Amino acid sequence: MRPRRAVGAAVLLVLLLGAVLGTYRSVRVADDDPARRLSSELRCPACQGESVADSRSPIAAAIREVIAARLRAGDSPEEVRTYLVRRYGAEVLATPPAQGWGLLLWLVPVLALGVGAGSALRTHRRRRGAAPGARPAPPRPTRRPPPPVTAAGVWTAGAVAVLALVGGVAVAAPRLATAPEPARRPGPAIAADPVLDLLALARAAEEQGRYEAAAEIYRTALERRPADEIRLRFAFILIRLGQTAEAARLAETVLAARPDTPDALLMLGLAQRDSDPAASVHTLRRFLDRAPGHPAAAEVRRLLGDG
Amino acid sequence: MTRPPAGWPGRRLRWVPSLALLAIGALGATVAVGVAGTGSRSTGSPVTAPGAPAPPLAGRSLTGAPVDLAAFRGRVVLVNLFASWCGPCRDELPLLVAAQRRWASRDLQVLGLAVRDGEAAIRALLAETGAVELTVVPDPTGATAVSWGAFGVPETFLVDAQGRIADRTSGPVTAGWLDRRLTRLLGAP
Repeated sequence: MRPRRAVGAAVLLVLLLGAVLGTYRSVRVADDDPARRLSSELRCPACQGESVADSRSPIAAAIREVIAARLRAGDSPEEVRTYLVRRYGAEVLATPPAQGWGLLLWLVPVLALGVGAGSALRTHRRRRGAAPGARPAPPRPTRRPPPPVTAAGVWTAGAVAVLALVGGVAVAAPRLATAPEPARRPGPAIAADPVLDLLALARAAEEQGRYEAAAEIYRTALERRPADEIRLRFAFILIRLGQTAEAARLAETVLAARPDTPDALLMLGLAQRDSDPAASVHTLRRFLDRAPGHPAAAEVRRLLGDG
Repeated sequence: MTRPPAGWPGRRLRWVPSLALLAIGALGATVAVGVAGTGSRSTGSPVTAPGAPAPPLAGRSLTGAPVDLAAFRGRVVLVNLFASWCGPCRDELPLLVAAQRRWASRDLQVLGLAVRDGEAAIRALLAETGAVELTVVPDPTGATAVSWGAFGVPETFLVDAQGRIADRTSGPVTAGWLDRRLTRLLGAP
């Protein structure tokens, strides 16, 4: 009995640690960049459950630029927030306002936690009180068999399940959270990389609508570092410029090395639209097969007339 | 509550289901409120709520001519946010051209705002859809779209002769929608 208990306690402890870690990670401020911090506090108005910082939707990208521009112009984060709330309503704030129905969103989890913890404690305390009296019961086999479920057992199982869930998320989350980060924003340690500077420059040109300039910068970046990610960004700009033949070639290069890369299939499919509509439909369908949840999937389905 | 005699679970467990039900109910209510908060767009966007003065929209059209929404006071203006990378926009543009022609004598002005798009791509799209005659102002960063509280493309606003928002709709407009709204604002063509 004792070793089993010790193992159980150890598992619980690990799960509890994971839960604390996960909670900490979700509440801490992830970035010193005020624009990024502000955009992570805002909900993308065109998406479900995504922040402005994380969303790849065009309107979220536009909002990010507006935030950066307004902060640069000297607006306080509060002023920028007000500007966006005036346009998108209070729903744009990722944290619900602590009034009216919004207050309920804050109160219910706290109440649920309090009531749950209180009830669990009561049940366990009562069981402990009843335990000495219950102990003589097992040696009497003539009595009814021990019950399969006790209140304390239900609470323990529930608590372990919740901890396992939170701990599991905490363990899985680092991979989700850290993987795309280097690509998103080069940290100070790697900013000396000239190719990263070029990519930032290209992106800035792109955001200002100077696609010809962006294409030239991507071309230079690609010469210095033949990376698939750069190829695909470059292909995207070329498609926008109508230079679809070169875009298709770049996407095919990526696909030759890594078949079925969703972004490459998407670029190839879009690039083929004018020159070879049948092949385009085929490629875009492959893209949808590979990445049905891709941010561009809905748009591609519309292009294909799938509704 | 009296203490159960020998620690039998039957009694203790009695309140667990009701508590669980209560918890599930509370959770359901919370989620419902949360979802309702996310979904409803009608409560938001005070700057482009019907009756509010339309936000500024000024710039240079694709032909280089200066365009300012304020200069169209006295006319009904249909502001359409679109982009070449948006499929439904492609289908919608011919409808807008038809509306502009149909209500031209009634002083309708259609104004396109090309959101986060390159000029070459916009021109190609307009040529492809037979919409070259539309007045289009590029909004390469999407800042104007955001200042209008737009959710995406396509999105359409109707600005009345007094420069106030008369109507707005997210997603592609239909011929029926245009017909009803424009007839109300301008009378039958």
